[in-house]
Amino acid sequence: MTGNSVGLEVRSLTKVFGRGDGVRAVSDLSFRVEPGRVTGFLGPNGSGKTTTLRCLLGLVTPTSGQTLVGDQPYRELHDPLHVVGAALEASGFHPGRTAVGHLGVVAASAGIARSRIFEVLELVGLADAGHRKVGGYSLGMRQRLSLATALLGDPSVLILDEPANGLDPEGIAWLRNFLRSLAAEGRTVLISSHVLSEVQLTVDDVVIIRKGELVSYGSLQALSTGMNAHVIVRSPDSGRLGEALRSVPAASMTTQENGAFLVTGISAAEIGEIAFSHNIMLHELHTQEHDLEAVFLELTSSEGGAA
Amino acid sequence: MNALRAEFRKIITTKIVFWLTAFSLAFTALTVLLSVYLVPTSARVVNSSMLLQVPEYVNSIVAACGNASIFVIIIGIIGMTSEYRHMTITATFLASPRRSPVVLAKAVAYAIVGALVGVLNFCLSLSLTYITLAGKEHAPIEMSQALHTLIGVIIGFALGAIVGVSVGALIRNQVAAVIAALVFLLLVQPLLNAFVEWTTAWLPGGALDSVMNLTYRQGQLSSGLLPSWGGGLVLLGYAAVLGAIASFTTLKRDIT
Repeated sequence: MTGNSVGLEVRSLTKVFGRGDGVRAVSDLSFRVEPGRVTGFLGPNGSGKTTTLRCLLGLVTPTSGQTLVGDQPYRELHDPLHVVGAALEASGFHPGRTAVGHLGVVAASAGIARSRIFEVLELVGLADAGHRKVGGYSLGMRQRLSLATALLGDPSVLILDEPANGLDPEGIAWLRNFLRSLAAEGRTVLISSHVLSEVQLTVDDVVIIRKGELVSYGSLQALSTGMNAHVIVRSPDSGRLGEALRSVPAASMTTQENGAFLVTGISAAEIGEIAFSHNIMLHELHTQEHDLEAVFLELTSSEGGAA
Repeated sequence: MNALRAEFRKIITTKIVFWLTAFSLAFTALTVLLSVYLVPTSARVVNSSMLLQVPEYVNSIVAACGNASIFVIIIGIIGMTSEYRHMTITATFLASPRRSPVVLAKAVAYAIVGALVGVLNFCLSLSLTYITLAGKEHAPIEMSQALHTLIGVIIGFALGAIVGVSVGALIRNQVAAVIAALVFLLLVQPLLNAFVEWTTAWLPGGALDSVMNLTYRQGQLSSGLLPSWGGGLVLLGYAAVLGAIASFTTLKRDIT
């Protein structure tokens, strides 16, 4: 890894494909990706993830806005492969080249020693298949070769587009540990996915987009607790409890079948305090962690979301 | 420098250049054999043994390797367009985000490849001419002329490959680019040459012939060509114009 930690920044990025009223793939998108953390870039298929990543990498020219690696656009990086390693899709290989041949081309283009080729092949578990033609590779092997290509320059930043696609459960678990260890070394890791559960155990932060617009951005923890926690509270004196809770402006609640209230907007501790100060006996008080996948679906479904 | 090294790695890690070079050699061999054992239809008034006594004709057999130059144009086109076809252009532009220098590096790499293919074709046509003329009564093979041909072939094939790369930079679709080049070289160009005399000198085919001092193209005598250096400049001009248009159009396009 060269030099200090390097973050990524997307500033008011807009990309319209085609002329005039073309396809608006990304719309006024802004977020930062911090070093030392794994950031999940999430959204359904066609939400603009790949376009955003390609803008970050200088492959797609933004209609407006800016993308930065550290403090400069990718196209101005002096030695890009030593700063950013990217794995975009599993199809960017000449089928007639071997993995060693492919990595040899990339290594030559960045002045990387050939010994590093065998290191990265070892690292991703392709050492035995290195001299086979990529045309005969399975999707999972292509994913590993993509990752090996990204790692070749020992970069400070890793940008991986749907890296778990085509990997078996064992491979996904391996990838998770591997990406965690890279982040622990202070590297910046950005991975995209259309399934939250796939990366839920890997990421620290999430950027969620829908139809090219930002719908949620922050730590995974904030996503799972902050805005979406439901508190279940049940009291034998539900009438008085309901009255007391309704007087709190931040709280919103629904009544469940068994007479319990499902409260959002305030924490379990706050509800406990209110009940205590009104001298109301509680039989049940707990926070119901929402299923993250349900939250994600709610945020990204075409009807719901914050946009 | 790294970009150039990467281009050579790309070339040696696939087989296409090898095969197209092999085809070009086969074509040169065929040209020499036909020229020695048969008589061009345009010269049917004489017979084969008489024709071989004409010094210009013998020299033209050695120079026949120049006819294989179309293969290096195709090699250049495929070298550029296969990046788009297999989407390796993504990795290429990630390593070298400034795009025009990538095409320039490719042009240099393929110029060297083209020159080598030219040397191979020359060696084949010279040695095959020697072998097939042995035991026949024939005008001497003039080494000074052969040397002239060699230099012309080296430069001509290098320029042909550069033109090919620039065509590929402009037309990203491999099939479209190859077809466009062949249609132009084999149909449009002969048509124009047949009806508008001055086009012979200025279109790529005639320019290539003048670089290589090729007086016979597939049995037909060509005339009214530019001097060698003029032909070379014309070819460089084509490559520069195509490349410049590409750098403002196709090369700027999003890689998706």
